[in-house]
Formats: sequence, structure tokens, C-alpha cells
Amino acid sequence: MEAAKMASPKSAPKDAQVMAQILKDMGITEYEPRVINQMLEFAYRYVTTILEDAKIYSSHAKKSSVDADDVRLAIQCRTDQSFTSPPPRDFLLDIARHKNQAPLPLIKPYSGPRLPPDRYCLTAPNYRLKALHKKVSSTAGRITVPRLSVGAVSSRPSTPTLGAPSAQAVSVAAKVGAPVSLAGQRFTVQIPSSQPAGKSATPTPPTVQNVLINPSLLGPKNILITNVVSQGPAEPNALKRKHEDDDDYDTL
Amino acid sequence: IGGSVATVATSSPGVAAVAAVPPGKGGERGNCEVGPFSRRGPWECGAVREAGAQGSVSGRASESPPRLGGAVVVEDQPDVSAVLSAYNQQGDPTLYEEYYSGLKHFIECSLDCHRAELSQLFYPLFVHMYLELVYNQHESEAKSFFERFHGDQECYYQDDLRVLSSLTKKEHMKGNETMLDFRTSKFVLRISRDSYQLLKRHLQEKQNNQIWNIVQEHLYIDIFDGMPRSKQQIDAMVGSLAGEAKREANKAKVFFGLLKEPEFDVPLDDEDEEGENEEGKPKKKKPKKDNVGSKSKKQDPNAPPQNRIPLPELKDSDKLDKVMNMKEAARRVRLGPECLPSICFYTFLNAYQGLTAVDITDDSSMIVGGFADSTVRVWSVTPKKLRSVKTAADLSLIDKESDDVLERIMDEKTASELKILYGHSGPVYGTSFSPDRNYLLSCSEDGTVRLWSLQTFTCLVGYKGHNYPVWDTQFSPYGYYFVSGGHDRVARLWATDHYQPLRIFAGHLADVTCTRFHPNSNYIATGSADRTIRLWDVLNGNCVRIFTGHKGPIHSLAFSPNGRFLATGATDGRVLLWDIGHGLMVGELKGHTDTVYALRFSRDGEILASGSMDNTVRLWDAVKAFEDLETDDFTTATGHINLPENSQDLLLGTYMTKSTPVVHLHFTRRNLLLAAGAYSSQ
Repeated sequence: MEAAKMASPKSAPKDAQVMAQILKDMGITEYEPRVINQMLEFAYRYVTTILEDAKIYSSHAKKSSVDADDVRLAIQCRTDQSFTSPPPRDFLLDIARHKNQAPLPLIKPYSGPRLPPDRYCLTAPNYRLKALHKKVSSTAGRITVPRLSVGAVSSRPSTPTLGAPSAQAVSVAAKVGAPVSLAGQRFTVQIPSSQPAGKSATPTPPTVQNVLINPSLLGPKNILITNVVSQGPAEPNALKRKHEDDDDYDTL
Repeated sequence: IGGSVATVATSSPGVAAVAAVPPGKGGERGNCEVGPFSRRGPWECGAVREAGAQGSVSGRASESPPRLGGAVVVEDQPDVSAVLSAYNQQGDPTLYEEYYSGLKHFIECSLDCHRAELSQLFYPLFVHMYLELVYNQHESEAKSFFERFHGDQECYYQDDLRVLSSLTKKEHMKGNETMLDFRTSKFVLRISRDSYQLLKRHLQEKQNNQIWNIVQEHLYIDIFDGMPRSKQQIDAMVGSLAGEAKREANKAKVFFGLLKEPEFDVPLDDEDEEGENEEGKPKKKKPKKDNVGSKSKKQDPNAPPQNRIPLPELKDSDKLDKVMNMKEAARRVRLGPECLPSICFYTFLNAYQGLTAVDITDDSSMIVGGFADSTVRVWSVTPKKLRSVKTAADLSLIDKESDDVLERIMDEKTASELKILYGHSGPVYGTSFSPDRNYLLSCSEDGTVRLWSLQTFTCLVGYKGHNYPVWDTQFSPYGYYFVSGGHDRVARLWATDHYQPLRIFAGHLADVTCTRFHPNSNYIATGSADRTIRLWDVLNGNCVRIFTGHKGPIHSLAFSPNGRFLATGATDGRVLLWDIGHGLMVGELKGHTDTVYALRFSRDGEILASGSMDNTVRLWDAVKAFEDLETDDFTTATGHINLPENSQDLLLGTYMTKSTPVVHLHFTRRNLLLAAGAYSSQ
């Protein structure tokens, strides 16, 4: 932290000098010069808010002018709202006594990663897949859902082959909670292409890029892999399939 | 004595308290919301009524603050007026200065041997009298009282006095939890019986009755039989916000021994041998029996039973880790005054004063930094890069039976030396690796503690409980449990698979700034901004030890590897050494000139390393500091021993960095000292 620079009396406004003096009185000797500006802004904003609140209370009480009681009420309400302080000691001792009575829970052996129930974890997928309109009979077997990454770099640019799954994996941002039946679903993935060669221009019609789907578990009708070359802007136009209904995959 | 105070409070708390309000407060909001009905609920009313019944002086040895004269303080109206009633009978505010100067005169004229002990009264009396004046809204008297006497106080109370000088109105006190706690808890003084008799005789004379009332209200005098203490002894032990620790607070039995390590064979490896002998035949390999663990079969009486608290079982990977640990231990350098460790310093560049937390894994393979920009960055210290696990699709393709399956599950494409973890929304103040290196904890100003996986480098859980900044967190040495401490003045014990804390350790008067597990994972030490260190029992949440003596907030704690001693460092630059079993201060290491942020014992406990904001690392001789601890019955009864002035003898070396404060210290398994800090350019 730079040492405090005392502004010369000619250049610093009186407010700034007062604030510097307050900092000195509170024992703060080292601070960046912009701290004074921040403190002044805070003080101004706080006082303005309090006075505005006080005016509202005073007019609510049909008083002709704002008096000390209004200001006090305004301060009290603001304090409860913004400047909360930690719970008082007896409250803490009370809940501590309550919590500490329960014995420590026994640990189940060999239970894998010991994490709280899923809804208290942050491991659920943070995306949703859009459903197709027509439903096809689901195939048997557990299906691993392809990992869809938004924003991840796929390390190798692909050569497109229609209809055949590419062997490249797309890394996933989040672990998927439960496997989902692939039948009847259309995958719309928006991956901003950030290839070393190409630019990260996201063309307006979203393009479906490399998606690894285990084809043996899908009915052949449902393979909708559209691999698109991601180098250069000229080529994608030829191979892009325009999906009308997947411009925003947030809305279903 | 003091009876008048008690009677007011024992009558119905709400109504009588209002009547006792001095007229000047009539228009105040103290008139509304009086009575047992308050926002908080029934427990509070019970507390207020209970308060009236205990207006007497004798402090209790129990942990909860003795409630006196309705001095239960929450932000609500009824208790404000109830508290006022306690202060109302204390006499004319204009005479406070006379009372205080009268006492001052008496103490200064007393015998030398008593003067030092009686001088302990000055500070708590000064603060309580000032706060009374402020609370009763005698602002001018409060100001002049402060002006006149604040210069007489000891230098180590200056920070508190500065805070006090800004509290001039009753409203100022409302938000300051620390000051409120100070007023409601009794300040503990330890005085020898002779000095106490002297004081009592003087104060019970008629004109000094007011001071005697105040003493009974707010002070707890722990009397011991023995020689009065010298100024030097007293100065070493005082300084905390609540005075010293009562003798009873440090009497509980503490199991400071270590848990028995499981015994198993250490297979010798090829690397350990120098190679084949001349004939080209491989040498015969015999597995070595592990005798680094406990040698005796019988239970150490000071060690906790193995199943005192549930601990996770050892997995195969843990066993492999232990084998590795033992092999490294065999190659460990034996340190001592003749053989000092080499120090390897890891400097964080371009951190722009943003480095707020550092941790290193036990095997020194990874280093993590928590930053003020809310990121957590993990680096690999060894040439081996950090990799994340492959995706589930890829994992299904690998051969699960192959020998190197643990290598195959790693995704080479994600190899990098640095991983950045985003998730917190405030500066990250504490980080901790799990002992099995699978998880990382980080705690932040946003009030949450986050658990990150070091295999996928993603966040797994956010533990919400503190709603205020969390200053420190640490995994247990056996994993599974972790402790966190924060601004809400409590420390919490969590388990990774519970979204709520298992234990809450409440008792500190100010923020909990530092939390550490004992090597046997049965106790937790917490250092706080109220300048005390408390040792808590994990099993039932009780506070088993209170250590006072530091003059500033505590920022570093270190248990010795044998579990018997605790070293603590604070903003006053001193490192204090404590014997946990007896509950005594056994050493004081002076030398640092600024806050001691890092403390670590070497692997076998021979050297204590301390790192500080004054850009130095100092090495101290721990063996010498702890030897000759013949604490005879006398000293353990009185609770203090004579500390020799041997800091200079114990100091083995001072190593200066180029303007880089030392934030973390770590001894590798072979006793190489690693240090970390961020370069600050001025």
C-alpha cells in the first residue's frame, strides 16, 4: 500500500481533508489515495439514502419537517437491512449447545466419494436438452449421453464425415447426473468454435459440431450427427444444416 | 453488596426496567416494544428472567457467560432497557473520575509486590466505566473521563482504546458485537490472595462502595495462593479481551497423544537398492517391518481411544501413501542446531497484493493459492503436470484390468501446470488440501466453503453456514472432517458428506481467524481476534483450554508433531509456546517485528520455523525450548511459570526475503523447508 499522500491544502477539497483526518484518528496510516474518494462516495451515498428515507417517514407521519426521530428510524431500518451484524453470543451458544448434543455420525465404509446428497452438491448438469416433437420407441440398454461442452476447446479440428461417429471426444463442463434416453431427442449444441486456425465467429445459424454418440444404442433414424468443418468461414455455409427450432436452446 | 442491582432486575424485567429509565430517555424508542414479546422468540425471555436471578458476583466456571442484572444483549428494545437498569444504580456520573483516580492513587501507594497485580484492574475498570457513561448517555462526562485516563493504560491495549474512542453514543455500540460481548462477559483477573485482601479491605470502606459494585458486576477475580506475580509475568499472560483464563477453564483432561498408526510391511523397492551386486544377480529383498509407528503395544494414557471419534477407514491408496511416507521418512534429514534445513522459497509474482492463502500438499506435489480476485489456482510443484480425469465416454473405452489403469484414466489433453478454479464470489482467505490429495477446500469472504475435486478440477459442494466472511479452513489429518472459522465468532466442524456443520464451537468474543486440527484429529485449536486461543473437543464441542497472552489477533497456529505442544503467532510479532496437557505457557519467542503469518514444526519436531510480514523466516530450536519442563505442583496450581528470557538462545537463524512477506511454511517429508509468499514491490 502506498503511503498516504497528504494533499496540499490548496488542492484538496475540505471534504477530502476531513476524511483524511478521520482515517488518521481511526489509526489508519497507510492507504492508497483513492481510499479517500471511496470513503467520501460511501459517506455521501449513505447520508443521502438515510435522509431520503427520513423524508418519506416524516411525510408518512404527516409532519411538516424532518426531525431527529425520523432520521433515527431511517438509520435503524437501514442498519437492519444492509449492515447486519453477526448473531449475538448467547444465540450462538444456544445453537452450539443444541448442535453439539448430537453424537458424531458413524462413517459408512467403502462408500466412494463422500459427498452430501445430490441436491446439495454442485455436480448436477447446468444445461437441458431439447426434446424432439415425434417420439420414437426407446432402445434398450443404458446410454451414455454425449458430453456437450459450451466454451471448451476441442483440441483437434475435425474432418467431417456424415453419418459416422467421430472418435473425438468433446470434453464436458459438468458431469451428467442420470443417463438419458437418446431416442427421440435432437441434440443441439452450440459450441463456439475456438480453433487455432479459425476465428471464433459464431455464425448466426448454429452449427452442430462433433458429437460423440454411441451409434449402436440409437436407432439409425435418430442419428443426427451433422459434422461441420470449423475452419474458415467459406466452407461452413455449404455444410451447415439450418435448424429452425434450435436458435435458443434455453426455451423449450 | 451489589444487592440493590439484583433486586431491580429480579422483578419483572420489562416493566420495572422502563420505570428505571432516566428521564432523559423518555422520548426514545425504549418505550415501545417492552415486555417479553420480542422478535427473537421464547428463548430470549427465558434468558432475561434467568438473568435476574444471578445478580451476584461469584462467577461460574462454566462456559456460558454469567448473566447478571439483565445484561443479556441483543439488538432488541427490552434488553436495552434491562441493561440500563444494571447501570443505573452505579452512582453519579460526574463522580466517576474521582472514583477512578481514588483507586489509582491507592494502587500507586501500595506495596511494590502488590502493585503490579492490582494494576491489572485499571484497564477493565476504565473500559467498563467508560461504557457505562456512554450507555447512560452522559457523553461529555464520558469524553472527559476518556481524555483523562486513557493514557495511563498499558500500551498493548491501544488498539482497543482507539475503537473505544469512536464509541461516543449508545447507538454506536449496537452494531459492535465485540464490545457488547465484552460488556456481558466477565473480565477475568488472576490475583494472589494477599493482594486481593488488600484490595477488598480498601474498597469496602464506605466512600469506595461504587467501585466495589463495579468490580463485582464486571470482573471475575480468580484468586490463587502463592507469591504475587511480577509485572513481567503478568505482562506475558494478559492482553486478551476477556482478561486471563480461569484456572478451572484449563483443568479438563486433554488427550494430546497421537493415534496409533496401523502396522504393515514396507516392501523394499528397486530404487532403494544401489543396484545389483557385481555378479549381476538381484539382491535378496526382505520386506522391512514398519517400526516408525508406535513401538509399544500398550495404549498411551494420553492418547485418545482409537474410536473416540469416528474416522474414515484406510483405503488402499491411503496405505500406499503411508508406505511412501515411511520410505521418505527413512531418508529424512535429522535437523538440529548443527544441521539447519535448506529453505526453498516459492514467490508468487504479479499477484498485486492479491495472494491471500496458500497451502501445499503433504507430499509437496501441489501448491494452491487463494486470491483476492476470488480465484483458486493450483500449481504442480513437481515436473508431473496436473491432469483431469477423462470423460465418462472415454472412461468406458479403457481397459479396466490393466496395471496402469490409474494413469489411463487421466486425460493427457488436459495436462497443464496450472489449473484455475472459479466459483467464489469474494476473496479466498483459506485453502486446504485433503490428505489423500483428492479434494481441495477453499473458504472465502462470500461466507461459503467450497470443496473442489482435484481429479476433475471442478467444484463439488458449497457449504453454507457462516453468513459472514470465513477466515480459515483446514482438513483433518485423516480427511473427511474439516473445520472453518469466520467473522461470526464461531468455528464449525463439517464432514464432507453433510451439508450442515456437525459441531459449532462458540465462545470467542471476536472473529475466529485461524483454525487447526490436532494431529490426532480429536481437538481443534482456534485463534481469534479477541487475542485468545481456545482448544475444543471434537467429540462434544466443549472448550477444554483457553490460552491468553497475545496482544493482537492470532494468525497462525501449529501443533508439534508429538501433539503435546502448540505454537501460536499473532500480530504482535511474538511466538508463544503452550503445553497442552498442563494448559500453561511454556515459552515466548521474541524476534519478529511484524505479524507472524506462518508457523510450522519440522517433521520430527526439532525445529520450529516462523514466517512473518517482516519478510523473514526464523528458525527456533524447539527441542531446547521444550526441555526442562519440570512444572512442579506449585506452578501448575497457580497457572503460570517463570519464563526465561531465552529467545536469543533459541533463535537458530534469520533468513530475509526481498520484500516478500512469508505467508506459508511447509516441511517436506525429508525436512526440506518450503516457504511461499507474494512479492510486494515497495
